[in-house]
Amino acid sequence: MNNEYILEVRHISKSFGKHLVLKDITFQIRRGEIIGISGENGVGKSTLLKILSGFLPPTKGEFTAQGRIGFCPQELLIFETLTVKENFIYFATAYGLEQKKAAPSWERTKGELIEQFRFHCSEDTLASYLSGGTKQKLNLSLALLHSPDLFILDEPYSGFDWETYLHFWRYAEELKSRGKSFLVVSHFIHDHSKFDTIFQLKEGVLQCVSTI
Amino acid sequence: MRLNYIKTGLLMTAKELLRNRIALILFLLIPSLFNTLIVLTTKDRPITLHLASISEETFFKVSERSETLVFIALAAAGFIAAFLGLNLIQKHIGVDRRLVLCGYCPSELIIAKLTLLLFVILLIGGYGTSSLLFFFQPRHFFQVILGFILGGYIYGCYGLLVGAIFKRELEGILCIVLLGNIDVGWLQNPLYYSESQSKAIIRALPAFFPSQMTMVAAFTDHSVSQLFMGGIVYGGILLVTGLLIYWWRMKIKK
Repeated sequence: MNNEYILEVRHISKSFGKHLVLKDITFQIRRGEIIGISGENGVGKSTLLKILSGFLPPTKGEFTAQGRIGFCPQELLIFETLTVKENFIYFATAYGLEQKKAAPSWERTKGELIEQFRFHCSEDTLASYLSGGTKQKLNLSLALLHSPDLFILDEPYSGFDWETYLHFWRYAEELKSRGKSFLVVSHFIHDHSKFDTIFQLKEGVLQCVSTI
Repeated sequence: MRLNYIKTGLLMTAKELLRNRIALILFLLIPSLFNTLIVLTTKDRPITLHLASISEETFFKVSERSETLVFIALAAAGFIAAFLGLNLIQKHIGVDRRLVLCGYCPSELIIAKLTLLLFVILLIGGYGTSSLLFFFQPRHFFQVILGFILGGYIYGCYGLLVGAIFKRELEGILCIVLLGNIDVGWLQNPLYYSESQSKAIIRALPAFFPSQMTMVAAFTDHSVSQLFMGGIVYGGILLVTGLLIYWWRMKIKK
């Protein structure tokens, strides 16, 4: 693998039965790059991200990633009957952050996330009592807890209010300046200036529509 | 296998269960409600029946009320354990996969869930048997407790298996209710199978070993060790099958 790239996707195809959803997808992401993928509902954006995060196997092709990956799925995969803090602890354990050596950095990241996504008042609230947007913030935060090198985010800001949306991008740009990379999927990519490259997924084929 | 991962999994799963207050109240109410209904609808008259695990020719005289109380208490234990097993596996299968993606091993999650299930089964066994003491004294109290625990174990494993197979709740509930009703709620009652034409089917159903064990322990002095071992193996087969399916569904490409 070329060291320049944090993610290299080579000729990935995915079919469900006879239905070919993704056709020969190839692209790369460099360190400190933000890539966007847009496309209409049902074109296979989430399927592509599920493949890249390990949730689904590709039918053909392969990909290689360097460093840690943080994946935020489109659906809310959080524990509704646990509090925000307990969700953090559960996922921190999964990432291996609860062990003593990792504790200071994980505490710092948790503090950053609480600050960025303004969780102060809802830390001890059950996730089921949170609003839709706050649940999405929690869903996203759980992908960021372990300070990954590559963020794979599926519709990360759906349900966000405008201020949180701006907070998200400010935080993303700060992380980008630290060399972190992003792959963001959304059917609304209206602010092209946030992305280094934008692809469009149409009929299973990935086409580059904008690049800086 | 990392102990702190299992500990956190167990703690979080237990917190979730404890926050489901209505389910907890039902856990306590169902056995008492079943007992009350039996006391109100049965007579304390002697009935004659035979136990499938002893001999076709050996008949026992027992109180109709006591026999029904034991049978229904086992049904309550089986149903509760099965629904809990289903809930533990099925409810969070998506988030569990995300945890596996983030670093958990499926075995650590399943051990946490099984430990909680076992703890609840022990509580149900103890509680179910103790509630019988208000109405009659079983001959072998601790063996009856073990019988209830065995029933909870087998049906808990059945719930896990159903939860691993079906993605949606309705299918899972139907599988438990349909089999539970016909098996632990009907066919295993000696009052019914004494006259049955095909006992082979009854012997193959999940509640055969625990229902025989509780009946034998409550009303006779026969040994229950073979029944206990048979039940452990039966539940083990359900458990291993359920775990394999769960493992397959948790598969992640890392």
